[in-house]
Amino acid sequence: MTDASMTRAERRRARRIRRFDNPWLNPKLFWGIGLLLGIVVLGILGRVFWDPELVFVGSGIPKLPPPGFENLRGQAGTFTNPLGTEGSGRDMLALIIIGAPNSLFVGLLASLIGMSIGIFLGFTSGFVGGRTDDVIRVLSDVMITIPPLLILVVFQSAFGDVSLTMMALLIAGFVWQSPTRLIRAQVLSMKQSGYVQMARLSGASTWHIMFKEMLPNLVPYLFGSFIANVTTSIVTAVGLEVLGLGPQRIPTLGRTIYEAINAGALIQNLWWWWGIPTLLLAVMFIGLLLINLGLDEVSNPRLRKLKL
Amino acid sequence: MSALTITDLSIDFPTTKGVVHAVSDLSLSVGRGRRVGFIGESGSGKTTTALAVMQMLAEPGRVAKGSIVLGDTDMLALNEEEMRKARLRRVSYIPQGAMNSLNPIMRIEDQLWDGITAHEGTTDRAELKRRSDEALESVGLPARVGRLYPHELSGGMKQRVCIALGVILTPDLIIADEPTSALDVVTQRHVMQTLKDVQAKIGAGLILIGHDMGLMAQSVDELAVLKDGVLVEHGETRQIIENPQHPYTRELISSVPLVGGESFLDDEIGAPPVNRGKPGVPLLEFKGVSKTYGNVTALQPMSFKLDGEVPKIISIVGQSGSGKSTMGSLMLGFNPPSTGQVLFEGQEIASMNAAKSLEFRKQVQAVFQDPYACFNPFYRVNHALRFPFKQFGYAKSEAHIQEKMEEACTAVGLDPALVLGRYPHQLSGGQRQRLIVARALMLSPKLLIADEPVSMVDASLRATILKNIYDLKDRYGISILYITHDLATAYHVSDYVIVLYQGHVAEAGPPEEVIGNPKHEYTQLLIDSIPWPDLDRSWGTPSTATEDAERLDRLARENKTEFRGRVPGFDLDVA
Amino acid sequence: MRTIPTSYLLNRLLTLFLTVFIAATLIWIIPRLSPVDPAEIMLGRMAAGAGAVADSEAILAQLRANFGLDDPLFIQYLKYLCNTVTFNFGLSTATFPTPVSALIANALPWTLGLMILSLIVTFIIGNLLGALMVWEESPKLVKVAIPAAMVFTSIPPILSGLLLMWIFAANLRWFPLTGAYGLTVEPGWTWEFAISVLHHGFLPALSIVIVTFGFWALGMRGLMITVQGEDYVTLAKAKGLKPRYILYKYMIRNAILPQITAFALKVGLLIAGQVLVERIFAYNGMGKLLYDAILDQDFPVIQGVSFVIILMTALSVFIVDLIYPFIDPRIRHEAST
Repeated sequence: MTDASMTRAERRRARRIRRFDNPWLNPKLFWGIGLLLGIVVLGILGRVFWDPELVFVGSGIPKLPPPGFENLRGQAGTFTNPLGTEGSGRDMLALIIIGAPNSLFVGLLASLIGMSIGIFLGFTSGFVGGRTDDVIRVLSDVMITIPPLLILVVFQSAFGDVSLTMMALLIAGFVWQSPTRLIRAQVLSMKQSGYVQMARLSGASTWHIMFKEMLPNLVPYLFGSFIANVTTSIVTAVGLEVLGLGPQRIPTLGRTIYEAINAGALIQNLWWWWGIPTLLLAVMFIGLLLINLGLDEVSNPRLRKLKL
Repeated sequence: MSALTITDLSIDFPTTKGVVHAVSDLSLSVGRGRRVGFIGESGSGKTTTALAVMQMLAEPGRVAKGSIVLGDTDMLALNEEEMRKARLRRVSYIPQGAMNSLNPIMRIEDQLWDGITAHEGTTDRAELKRRSDEALESVGLPARVGRLYPHELSGGMKQRVCIALGVILTPDLIIADEPTSALDVVTQRHVMQTLKDVQAKIGAGLILIGHDMGLMAQSVDELAVLKDGVLVEHGETRQIIENPQHPYTRELISSVPLVGGESFLDDEIGAPPVNRGKPGVPLLEFKGVSKTYGNVTALQPMSFKLDGEVPKIISIVGQSGSGKSTMGSLMLGFNPPSTGQVLFEGQEIASMNAAKSLEFRKQVQAVFQDPYACFNPFYRVNHALRFPFKQFGYAKSEAHIQEKMEEACTAVGLDPALVLGRYPHQLSGGQRQRLIVARALMLSPKLLIADEPVSMVDASLRATILKNIYDLKDRYGISILYITHDLATAYHVSDYVIVLYQGHVAEAGPPEEVIGNPKHEYTQLLIDSIPWPDLDRSWGTPSTATEDAERLDRLARENKTEFRGRVPGFDLDVA
Repeated sequence: MRTIPTSYLLNRLLTLFLTVFIAATLIWIIPRLSPVDPAEIMLGRMAAGAGAVADSEAILAQLRANFGLDDPLFIQYLKYLCNTVTFNFGLSTATFPTPVSALIANALPWTLGLMILSLIVTFIIGNLLGALMVWEESPKLVKVAIPAAMVFTSIPPILSGLLLMWIFAANLRWFPLTGAYGLTVEPGWTWEFAISVLHHGFLPALSIVIVTFGFWALGMRGLMITVQGEDYVTLAKAKGLKPRYILYKYMIRNAILPQITAFALKVGLLIAGQVLVERIFAYNGMGKLLYDAILDQDFPVIQGVSFVIILMTALSVFIVDLIYPFIDPRIRHEAST
């Protein structure tokens, strides 16, 4: 049967069945990735079509609203600053062009490092066993209860300013625990599985078993854990910034919110000042949540039957 | 008067690919106090019919037409609340998975009480306690079991609790869905006898769902044979067993291997056995090997020598926990022995270097129980065949691998075009298990460990796969250790049989002696417990169940071994 | 009720001890790795803030004593550990010479109150809703409305807090913008005070609840789907039990167990999130104390607050671990064999 001879409804149903066959092609995953890519694109196109220099103090009139609105002083917004300006005249659009990808960058970098540590420790723990396993297990159990935010608060108040990369590195020190636990548990159960025993019978090296037999089957879990860690990392980074810590010289969304609250933006109804960064962060988190829900459907087929 | 009357019942499952008729035009009645067996393969509609009686069809199943009358109640006309009240009180259900059928965080007695309370509203503790103790006692369990949690009970005990629950409100009809499928033969016999006993006492009708003709023959009065949702034959058990009309019924009866019966292997004389052994050096040797896990002894010390000059099949027979799988993993070098040495061609497995170890892997292969788990879901099935072939240096080129794979598939009766290049989930269990046999054939090891190779495959395919394995011996000169719980197949395929009980050799010798004419009490008990499709054979009475349990306890302490003669090329010693 | 097996108890105690020990050590080591002398910086900040610092020598001495800069490192560390165990975190530099422990003692009840209200209420509501999403008998509305609300649950509470503050406090003026109780009310066991506290606490609690219940609901949904397919639920139905009874005693009761473990793992992040909410609402708890301390570079307070919050987290985990064997009989069994 060719496509042309099918009715539209039939084609749609066929598409839905195909989509059901390949769990990676689910709409949640698609939308989630789309939202995050949107932020990356904003960062790239913004730098091309807008002037990033406008993030500096005094590049515009302070507290100017977006066009179509008036602030308390009766000043109307203009297209020179399409998203308005904040308390010291910095352009909001330029701010989010620089700030939003920064938050994503910290999240991705921290999570990537945390993940690598997790994969290493998880496999070591699952394969070596014995004392090594005990130490890694207890350490990850212990470290998982310590909230990263507070240790980082202590760190940053002692060290003062940090760079974005430094902050990502610090956060990475607190997001390796859950992938470690996850991978360890999976490795222990996979070690008993028939196909790993078959591989051993086939004279496979430990290396082959880890990377060729086990790792491919861990992929959906690893992705899920990675995305969850990106969320945790961004939440921690934003938390630090809202407390006035974190990078002091680079514009970040969290720091913008910090300044807005300190300047009483809520009472003065300067909603664009804190609202726009909040909205962007919300978009980022919703995107991450959708990706995670989509990945859940990949690794847990039972969820696919029920619609969320 | 009949307890249940089903007339013209049809059950449909609407799916995206169209409506599946799970049951079509089924008519049947179950008399009071009568036991009716529903027999058929999975997907034959036997469980679906039973669930329809309780209005518990899985989504999106629905009754398309027909009627179900229990006593004088039209079950299909009941609303949800009326149906709820009818469950357990009028019709009770004994589920298949006894292991997981009890709520793991509630005490047994609470789970008996909530059933009573939901139907009678009684909340008086003393009254509830009296009733639950009585119910537990009726299935041969002491009252203290009520205070325990499910994880503290054995599989057989859990299944008895489910039976106690099924009869606690004296229903008109009991539906037992493969109640013994997860149990070993001795326990199976006890549980079935308990079920028959309590059912007779309360005079309820019983529907027993199953796939094992032997078990049916020993348990029910009437048989209903289902195939693809159609009732193909129905009648008195004796009449059906002795004079089956439908070819499918005949197939079901003949798929049960009998001890001493006709062999399912054809005796064509193949090429003369290939001699691949090293003269003077045993292929595999156990020197005083034992294995303990913590303070549990899985295998008591034993020694044997297997020479590879004439390929043989040695069967290791035992129930779960007998240590037979431990033996398998010791031979494969997956586990080091706690004492003694396992030697392959004179080399100790535990102390081999990398090169020796690879050589050992080349020569010792295995077929495992679960054909679903043996393939990595990430790869096409070719991976399982191609990888070891390359790893062991047999492969000359990709074309050579392909040719060998196709050859091996054909040898085990698979069409290479249909199976190669597929993903594991696209193949049936039988196809996968044959692929694993094909893999062993491609590698042509000197020794093959077959650990319950057919226990998870449909009954109709078992004989074929065993025949494939059997062929490996004569045609390719592979010595085989066949690990199984099934004495009947061991009887047919093996040259020598070892019966293990709790890590100890109970009886050993040629199969005609050990299984055909057992001397050890344990072997006798095992053979007596196997249900056969033979109505004139006694399967014991309920009173023997407890005696058997005591006997088993005593045998476990005795540690006696019966040697029943030897075969050339295999020497066994206990110690 | 049988008791908890000793080996299990010892294991959990060890984890608690290690957590507190590692946290305390990190808090001690980090400032020492810093290239700058925190004592000098703080004094500088105080001098810049107040124009001139009276008694600067005493403060510097206190700072140095607090950091124990004169002793050998190992001795400093031991002293620090002894002090920490006795909740002696030294004196605040911003409100010199108030002891840090006194400041924390004032703030802690507010944080604990908000925590019990928000974390536990969220856990209960979230799990109940998650269970209802799967339950066959639940009203259609539940199955449609909750998934829609779920989209917002990825947002950290600090963002929802800002939004709620803007709508209900800044614009509608239904709730006060900041603080834990009205400026005109005298703290005490009076109705007036209690109402004021509830009035002030509502928005912070709500901003935590509306964005975190979804986390539990989602997790519960997945677990309930698994439990729904279990044989014991099928048998419960075949026993003719009432649907509501099956929901509570058979489904939720089993599905909740992994959620409780998850609670123990998540509690650290949740408390950290709450600290941030307290900060934006200027709620008189640990969050505000921490924030003020960061502004004033009041290092002893930062250390003290961080330590106490981590201790709270570790204790919550420990308590959950202690309760767990009583709700899952299998743990008692495993540990005793």
